[in-house]
Amino acid sequence: MTPNGAIGFGLILIAAAGTARGLTGLGVILALLIAFALASRRNIAAALLWSLGIVAPLAAFMALVWIGFVGRAPHEIAAGVEGSRAAAATYAATVCLRLFIIAFAVQALFLRFAGWTPLRFVRALTAPPLVKKLLVLTLSLIETILQAIDRARTALVAGGLITRRFSQVNLRNGWLLVQTVWLTVIAIAIGRTRDKWPIEGTLSRLDHALAAAAPRPAIADFAWGAAAVLCLGIVWGLR
Amino acid sequence: MFTTPRLVAIALCAALNFAIGNVVYLVKLPIYLDSIGTILCALLIFPDRLAALCCAFIAGLIGIILTGLVLNPFLPWFAGSVLVIALISALLTARASDTFRARPLQPLPFFGKVILCGVVTGVGSAIVSAPVVAYLFGGVTGSGSAFVVAFFLKAGEQLLSSAMLASLAIDPLDKVLQVLLAALLYRATPREFIAMLRVPQTSAPRAG
Repeated sequence: MTPNGAIGFGLILIAAAGTARGLTGLGVILALLIAFALASRRNIAAALLWSLGIVAPLAAFMALVWIGFVGRAPHEIAAGVEGSRAAAATYAATVCLRLFIIAFAVQALFLRFAGWTPLRFVRALTAPPLVKKLLVLTLSLIETILQAIDRARTALVAGGLITRRFSQVNLRNGWLLVQTVWLTVIAIAIGRTRDKWPIEGTLSRLDHALAAAAPRPAIADFAWGAAAVLCLGIVWGLR
Repeated sequence: MFTTPRLVAIALCAALNFAIGNVVYLVKLPIYLDSIGTILCALLIFPDRLAALCCAFIAGLIGIILTGLVLNPFLPWFAGSVLVIALISALLTARASDTFRARPLQPLPFFGKVILCGVVTGVGSAIVSAPVVAYLFGGVTGSGSAFVVAFFLKAGEQLLSSAMLASLAIDPLDKVLQVLLAALLYRATPREFIAMLRVPQTSAPRAG
């Protein structure tokens, strides 16, 4: 499967999840998504747990607000009827399942390309060269920033200016960490743009690397794309 | 419009949007600072307003896509908010760039403009993000604003208007802080880097 096909598949399913109104429709989408993840022949447990970890706090909040506090569903509030906690629970479950599907869709896409480097993935996308270049530059600078954060944090913790855990000192001096990181990264960016990249020809090499045509759609792209469109049709039919 | 230094600035601001979440997490601050890079990008590229708008929007968009892939899969749904923040940053906040860089710092105009721009950005962002919060999250995003939403719902307000009222109560405060941090980072940015972002003026020959 190509990255274009996988992204198209994911976007159709996320659109289907966004428009599904009931638990049945969402269940159909989740079933297809799990089949897609299993077809990657990788362990999907970590992806499921990650998605669960993202949605669980929201689900707890939602249960507290909708079932515990409000006690009725939005359509009951709109209709001005007394409502029930059961309807509120169904509503909260629908929203949580939709969020879980969105989170798991992203993870399922990651599973498909787990062995790929970011550069290889971006190269295989059908997108304007400028967009590909920006994505690669951003990914590179994220690494730079994360390393700068690590170094600056260690230095500021060692200097006693911030602490490793939440504290009033962090509220007062947290800004120092942001400023230190920014100045470090700006200095690196100036050095690269003005001196390093022109000498090494980095940007022209990057242009050359990204100029390769995206791979032609595979049979799997069409098969999973058709399944996603069918799923979208079922979801709309159930509305 | 997209010179190499500007591409670097866009990537830098997108990376800042992404990484600032990590900083907030490491320092254990109870706030979300997800648009500082977007606002900062507009400040850096001003006075070319169109370029400031385009670059700030692209920076914000790349930031939410990458954050969406790695940290928070729901963030890309707020692309509309990113557009509004970029628009307000390019058309309003960036006009205060001289005040933000004035030396010595003049507290009254500095903080006055930070608050004004932050409130306008917050209101704009709240109006655009409320329908997403209401529909996608059922009004509950896991932050403290959920209790404000719950309060309005309990009072009999509709879901959308509850989410809107809660966003209007929370977003301006958050955005004032973000504009403040963007202004301070802009103030700390070396002049050399800002000069690199200006497109060199070419003198066209005049007829006659």
